[in-house]
Amino acid sequence: MRGGGYFKTTYAADLALVDTRLRRRALAALVFLLLVLPRVASPFILDLVAQTALAAVGALALNVLTGLAGQISLGHAGFIAAGAFTTGLLVENGLRSPLIALPAAAVVGAALGIVVGIPALRLKGLYLALGTLALHHVVLYACAEFQNHWGANTGVSVPPPALGPWVLKGVVAWYYALTLAAALTLALSVNLRRSRAGRAWMAIRDREIAAESVGIDVARYKVLAFVWSSAITAVAGALFAYHRAFVSVEAFGFFLAVEYIAMIIIGGLGSALGAVLGAAFVTLLPHVLDAMVAGLRLAGGAAYYLFPLKFGAFGLLMAVFLLFEPQGLVGIWRRVRNWFALWPLRYRPLRSAS
Amino acid sequence: MVLTIEGLTLEFEGLHPLTGVSMSVDDGALAALVGPNGAGKTCVLNCVGGFYTPKAGRIRFGDAMIQGLAPYQIAARGIARTFQFVELFRGMSVLDNILLGRHRHMRSGVLAGGIFWGRSRREETLHRRRAEEIIEFLELERHRTELIATLPFGVQKLVAIGRALAMEPTLLLLDEPSTGMNREEKENLARFLLRIKHELRTTMLWVEHDMELVGDLADTVTVLDFGRKIAEGPPAEVLRDPLVAEAYLGRAYARERGAG
Repeated sequence: MRGGGYFKTTYAADLALVDTRLRRRALAALVFLLLVLPRVASPFILDLVAQTALAAVGALALNVLTGLAGQISLGHAGFIAAGAFTTGLLVENGLRSPLIALPAAAVVGAALGIVVGIPALRLKGLYLALGTLALHHVVLYACAEFQNHWGANTGVSVPPPALGPWVLKGVVAWYYALTLAAALTLALSVNLRRSRAGRAWMAIRDREIAAESVGIDVARYKVLAFVWSSAITAVAGALFAYHRAFVSVEAFGFFLAVEYIAMIIIGGLGSALGAVLGAAFVTLLPHVLDAMVAGLRLAGGAAYYLFPLKFGAFGLLMAVFLLFEPQGLVGIWRRVRNWFALWPLRYRPLRSAS
Repeated sequence: MVLTIEGLTLEFEGLHPLTGVSMSVDDGALAALVGPNGAGKTCVLNCVGGFYTPKAGRIRFGDAMIQGLAPYQIAARGIARTFQFVELFRGMSVLDNILLGRHRHMRSGVLAGGIFWGRSRREETLHRRRAEEIIEFLELERHRTELIATLPFGVQKLVAIGRALAMEPTLLLLDEPSTGMNREEKENLARFLLRIKHELRTTMLWVEHDMELVGDLADTVTVLDFGRKIAEGPPAEVLRDPLVAEAYLGRAYARERGAG
């Protein structure tokens, strides 16, 4: 909901994303905060933000596929692996420039998107989930074969990306690079939502027959959703490879795919802001739990037994969000925002006289 | 003739919803298609819209044969439709639903939409204006940004008509638009149908159960019964046809009335 008092006189003004003075100031403050953060925060915090930003790129890409187009995918880790291994393969063969690796990852991702997208035309819901899960295993198998073939059973090391004399190295540089990548992906996602293709995807999600009746080529747009999502995801995978400086199949297990699903559900399905919030939540949760366990100062081996809690916490939180807050973190954010927008005249639900 | 149907026959595993139905709709006409439940009215619309593939028969739209085309191809040629149970995009706003009707008139793809600069932005503004005109035409202004799922059924029916009108169709297929509407909403609907006919000059093929509305508004009426055409012509004639009365009310009543 938008507060009263802002009267727009053109459709262009109504389409603007940052449309009020308060929003402009908030955005400026956020940009300023992100720019000066390296001056005040510790490298550990910066690395956490960078990891969150990288996760946000992947989550935003998955959100386009699942949240907008309504196509569930358990193959997300597979697409990330494809991007990471494309980079690894190129680097092994002497093509070190990110100007080659990133587009190549996007192309490989897009091609995989077509491979999955076409059978996905005949699959829905759980069957689609299983189909994409199959893709995950096929891609990981192929990656494992490559990894063994290179003779490096543990993985492939990737040197930092370099553009001429300029080398992307160090926590601060990576913080800026990944935050910028996340901001660009966010802008793309938000724009898609208010334009023709994004609307067509949401139409397919809501009602396929009606989407056809307004002239949307449903098959084409479903495949497009897979292509777009997996291309961006593969780019995220390439960034992951550069950031970690190392590629190994172990990093792309099924649990990673579940984490990404968790991000968009906990964040709020279909919302770009939700994907970012969910990415932050899922990335930071293990660290917060670690800090809490450390803070308890348990004697001896007790902390050791608390370790599995981290994995249990995901399942528990997913269930809690699905039950109590199906709109996710973004739903909570909307309620808080509305509370302030309506204050002090907020609406109180009627209570019975008893 | 905007639409000509010849010998349309539909078969589903031994069922024959339509047998040799022929009919045509004049340019600019409001043509009603009526019949008792299960007569095959919606089947005719589904064949014209491409949702069903007829076993035999030809459907001519303008100069082209359209039987066998996919629904989105038929929509792209300028046939829009509404559904009996609205089939709107429930998770989206009224405005977005109507903007989706503009889909076939817009061009920007995924990348242009993602970047949202220059041409794709101008296109969005331009079609937003067209969508607003439809919203004004159907008096939906106060519902503009509301989610479909929160709207009463009668309003949803109007939004569905708005989505179809936003396509600027040559032929508009309406599947029981008055179902689920109260008296006042039906009177509004009648007003809108007349405005669509006289101001937008859109040809309409209109499946309807409310005979009062049909009698008052339709230019021609085609009556189906058990998948066959039993009468057609101007409403005043057709609705007095003993065969039609029999189809609706049974033989005894028709005989009695015929005798009296």
